[in-house]
Amino acid sequence: MNKVMSTDEVVAQIPNGALVAIGGSSLSRKPMALVRALARSDRRDLRVIVNVGGPEVDLLLGTGKIAELIFAFVGFEVMGLAPHFRRARQEGSVKFQEWTEYTVMAGLDAAIKRVPFLPTHSTLATDVLKVNTAFRTFQDPFGGETLVAVPALRPDVALLHVNLADPQGNGVVLGDGHMDALCAKAARKTFLSAEQILLPERLQTYGRDVHIFRTMVTGVVEAPWGAHLTGCAPEYRADLQHVQEYLTAARDEAAWREYLERYVYVTHEQYVRALGGEHALGERLRV
Amino acid sequence: MAEYSIDELVISCMARELHGELLVSSVTAFGSLAAHLARSTHAPDLAVLSTPESGMDAVPLPTLTLGQFLTENQRAIPLTMNDIFDAIFTDRFRIWINPAQIDEQGNVNISAIGPWDRPKVALVGSRGIPEDTSHLSQGLYYLTQHSPRAVVARVDFISGAGYNPERAKTLGAHGAPTCLVTNLGVFGWNPDTGRMVVRSLHPGVTPDQVRQATGFPIEIPAGVARTAPPSAEEIAIIHAADPLEVRKLELLSGKEAAEKFAVVYEQERQALHAAWPRRRH
Repeated sequence: MNKVMSTDEVVAQIPNGALVAIGGSSLSRKPMALVRALARSDRRDLRVIVNVGGPEVDLLLGTGKIAELIFAFVGFEVMGLAPHFRRARQEGSVKFQEWTEYTVMAGLDAAIKRVPFLPTHSTLATDVLKVNTAFRTFQDPFGGETLVAVPALRPDVALLHVNLADPQGNGVVLGDGHMDALCAKAARKTFLSAEQILLPERLQTYGRDVHIFRTMVTGVVEAPWGAHLTGCAPEYRADLQHVQEYLTAARDEAAWREYLERYVYVTHEQYVRALGGEHALGERLRV
Repeated sequence: MAEYSIDELVISCMARELHGELLVSSVTAFGSLAAHLARSTHAPDLAVLSTPESGMDAVPLPTLTLGQFLTENQRAIPLTMNDIFDAIFTDRFRIWINPAQIDEQGNVNISAIGPWDRPKVALVGSRGIPEDTSHLSQGLYYLTQHSPRAVVARVDFISGAGYNPERAKTLGAHGAPTCLVTNLGVFGWNPDTGRMVVRSLHPGVTPDQVRQATGFPIEIPAGVARTAPPSAEEIAIIHAADPLEVRKLELLSGKEAAEKFAVVYEQERQALHAAWPRRRH
């Protein structure tokens, strides 16, 4: 089946209030073209799951799309804290659930395995266990020790960005896979954006680098530079110059509106042009 | 004695804590250089992990800015998140964590200043620290600014578990803190009392300086040890591994560091492009 579609066709399949898992980690391989499409849509009240979140969370908070966030981390690493995340946390305008890197993975894994929870020692003796009301402690039925039950996380939708895909939805990841395969397996529907779409017979030559299988995928979008402003190893690095531009804009209301007009309320092709075009991006960010 | 700066002293203290054939994360420049220094000296079998692209034993040494140069220029054994968490759960992993706050019991905070549900300053979230503080037999922390704001009587939020009362009930020794290196000295914890103790003060640091910079009364014995300064060889290894001095950015304020980091990031790319021709495009 040919599953190639546009970013707006992906957004059309995400209902208000959907539980959306977003792949990538930190400033690496976030599905930013899909996230920007969501940010400029009229969707609302999304419940979002990220592991190590950054610009995708901050943009969706800055455009008022998120009602609830499940996260292990949100920030821009050495570049600074995430301005909209910080504001929303401090104002209490959005519901937040602090999880951890492993427990987000365990929650997705529990959904995949069709069990209500998976056990862990993680978060014991921390305040995460106090503020995260989704977690429970229980006694190990064998040895009696105290463990944490991490409840299943079953996303309605997973959004991922991959290096290469074929029209049927197989996806090649050449850098770190992060938790993308878990998102794809746990979600009811998974949508990929890809740097490039190849014919299936060419994609198959990538062998074990095919991490996302078409049996889990509903739609594929071709979006070169689709992870920008994050990086997409080994093709291009995170754009720290643009991260600075983003962070500066996000700290000021008027500048933020201008940023949205220029970079978010536009098509992906216009976004790439606003950044100076593919050639200029390549000169600056290809490695 | 060789001349050294405070970052080199802290990094050499951090390196001395690393031993054996373990996977060492290098999420910060200090952590990365400590792992590299240990591997180049007393711990040749350490497996150094570059992040976020999760390559083990990258050759040549990965650049220090986010590991985002792990391309064909740099070969590394790719690890997955599962591999990394399995290494944590089986205690084959070490990480130097740079918390916003650390307290007398060794609890650490990177989540929020003030109450969690309405913070005065929202920080980043606990990330993978709760995994580390429930499984690893070494809990390793460092601070570049030892101050009463960072070394506090009690953290505002426990992202990582020290010797708090809950630990005694549920975790025992698994994941307990073992070492804190700051710009003033090297500290540890007494497992019986669960309280921070001084292991050594850095050369030139007075006990009063440490008392004033610490947010709780800390006992400093009269004959307290002095930290051994880095050797000329250790300093040379750090200089060679970090010619652009990314490590110095950790000594700056957030905004200043971010601006300089972006500049170094580009310098690094140009240096790599000069050393290795572009593979395609």
